[in-house]
Amino acid sequence: MIYFDNSATTKPCDEVIRVINEDLTGENWGNPGSLHKLGMNAAKAYEQALSDCASCLSCRDDELIFTSCGTESANTAIFGYLKANPRKGKTVITTRTEHKCTLETMEELVRLGYDVRYISVGKNGKPDLDELRSVLDDQVALMCFTHVNNESGSILPLEKIMDIRKDIAPDAAIYLDCVQSLGKLEINLKSMGVDMASFSGHKIHGIKGVGLLYIRHGVKVSPYILGGGQQNNMRSGTQSLPLAASMAVAMKEAQKARAGAYEEVSRINAYLREELTKRKATVNSPADALPFVLNVAFRNFQSETMLHCLEMYDIYISTVSACSSKSKKTSYVLEAMGIDRSISSNSVRLSFSRYNTMDEARSFVEKIDQIYDLYEVNVR
Amino acid sequence: MATNVILARMGEVTLKGLNRGRFETQLMGNLRYRLRVFGKLSIFQKQSRIWIEAKDEDNPYFADEDSAKELMIAVSQVFGIVSVSLARKFEGDINDIDSNAEAYVKHHLENNPKHRSFKVECKRGNKKFPLNSPMICEEVGGYILEHFPNLTVDVHEPDFILNVEVREFNYVYAGRIQGHRGLPVGTAHKGMLLLSGGIDSPVAGYMMASRGMPIDAVYFHSYPYTSEQAKQKVIDLAKIVSRFSGRMNLYIVDFTKIQLDMVKNSPHDMLTIVMRRVMLQIAEQLALKADCKCLITGESLGQVASQTLEAIAITNEVVDMPILRPLIGMDKEATIEVSRNIGAFETSILPFEDCCTIFVAKHPKTHPKHSDIEEAEKNLDIEAMVKQGVEEGLEVITI
Repeated sequence: MIYFDNSATTKPCDEVIRVINEDLTGENWGNPGSLHKLGMNAAKAYEQALSDCASCLSCRDDELIFTSCGTESANTAIFGYLKANPRKGKTVITTRTEHKCTLETMEELVRLGYDVRYISVGKNGKPDLDELRSVLDDQVALMCFTHVNNESGSILPLEKIMDIRKDIAPDAAIYLDCVQSLGKLEINLKSMGVDMASFSGHKIHGIKGVGLLYIRHGVKVSPYILGGGQQNNMRSGTQSLPLAASMAVAMKEAQKARAGAYEEVSRINAYLREELTKRKATVNSPADALPFVLNVAFRNFQSETMLHCLEMYDIYISTVSACSSKSKKTSYVLEAMGIDRSISSNSVRLSFSRYNTMDEARSFVEKIDQIYDLYEVNVR
Repeated sequence: MATNVILARMGEVTLKGLNRGRFETQLMGNLRYRLRVFGKLSIFQKQSRIWIEAKDEDNPYFADEDSAKELMIAVSQVFGIVSVSLARKFEGDINDIDSNAEAYVKHHLENNPKHRSFKVECKRGNKKFPLNSPMICEEVGGYILEHFPNLTVDVHEPDFILNVEVREFNYVYAGRIQGHRGLPVGTAHKGMLLLSGGIDSPVAGYMMASRGMPIDAVYFHSYPYTSEQAKQKVIDLAKIVSRFSGRMNLYIVDFTKIQLDMVKNSPHDMLTIVMRRVMLQIAEQLALKADCKCLITGESLGQVASQTLEAIAITNEVVDMPILRPLIGMDKEATIEVSRNIGAFETSILPFEDCCTIFVAKHPKTHPKHSDIEEAEKNLDIEAMVKQGVEEGLEVITI
């Protein structure tokens, strides 16, 4: 099997499975909120997991909240910030290439009477900074961006955006979706200076069901889930040690492997860019994109057809568009990047992890040749 | 004590002459088959009506109007049924009729709070009953007016009609849901439907089934050009059609190699026509094996390039069986309406690639001539293709 769909989800690594197993079968199954010894053991281990996560992200322990997923983190951050800071206004800035968990939240904000300003992105997937300057003013309460786009791999020019904010609207908060950048780029929350950020476990060889929300010390956010006041009142509900520990281990393992993985995946990416371009493919990901994501269009193969062709060889990738004769739906991200429909309807996303190898990349290219031989259809 | 029963009325079947018995027997058999999942039922015919009663007192489908809805819809989907009502059945004299009518109206108004006017209609099969029909109407109407001061009588355009029937037992009911009419499936010979994932073909199957025709279906699958989801969608559509047409065999033909062969060896502007000719021949072979006497397609004149009269003439000539095209003169909007009505539309518009789309030329020939098709099929071994379609990788699913 060749798994090139790591932006969708990843296989949990052995270390993660081990820690979950230990926490479920050992002496740490107590409620971290209990006053007895059993609870205290669990609480201690939980605090350790939290602290490990914080140290991976260079932030304080009390700036992190465990959530169920990236989507919950995004919803809590955006709604919670606006609810807690009504005086900062009702204007939000974002782009059309955000993940659905942000875009759908924006739709809801519009229904609630907020003014959502979308700034356009260029062919390189990056937001137009001049446009940002022109729409940013002191009415803006919040800006929502994605560190690395999940479809194109495009990296946000965060420093420039921070500078623009400093110049024009220092009071506007910034929420950053770091789901795809976690474990792949260095994330130092202290120096980045964003106000809120979201993370997910299952994209870094952790498991589904756990995410993190970062809220910078001093930033006010209303909780989404009310109850027993766990996690500093920010997310009630009994804390899950196995999930928290799995997140911490996944982050630590990713951090350990990061430099090597980046190098290997860069080689894979460069190799595939070169070989696939020779073979009737067009690369949609910008040249300076994160190497872990490679968006590419195969001429004469609609996205879904290529996905199924590869599936026959036990190779797994994603389509970024769902095509049909009735409603031609192509990727809204590629559309926003101004990529022609004839290309976006043939586009697929390859996404890599530290476990992928050059051998797999070579084998992938061989299979692409076979697929072109056997299945290429170009009806004129 | 009163119980709830279901009353179904027959339509066209009752107009049959000497054949009537056969049609009725078929209809009763179809009802029993369709309703087999609703617990032990007694289904019988009396005076041109069909009565459906629970054999077990606690059958949940007879508890009230809401619980009966699913069962009534199932009855209404059996071809031959014109309308269906939920009735209250009880014994006794005019006082019992009054009190049951009151209970019924009370419940009816809870479900239809806007209803303000009514009238009573009565049928008296039991001629020994001391009051005649007009007298019963007058009595029951008066009783209802007395007990529901907000209601008025309107004999011309009432919000609801309260029906009272006096037979071996007494019945009251109001309202009915429309049946799908038609003739009982099984009274005509079986047909083979060419089923795709679109809007038209399920409607075509439904329409032929409504004339009494049992249906088998054939689908042409082109993995990897069409996905497993596309196949599942067709299976789901077949299930929807089979709610009306009864048990069905779905033949799934592995069409990939055949299609690739066509793309390589025939001109692209004739591809759709060549493809349809091969599909029809494969369908005919399968139809012969399955004891079907016709093919059914969802074609509608002029809808797409392969559905012009010239194209239809050229595809028609490769098979001997009659090809029935119930949608040929139908407007797309009308087809969509039927599709919605039978609950197929939402499934039909799911966005999975179906094999017709990837292999369609940008400018297909709309007025093909004989010489065109001879040229187009010159380099193809059509006979081998048909054989391959019928024999290699054929999957049969019973629905």
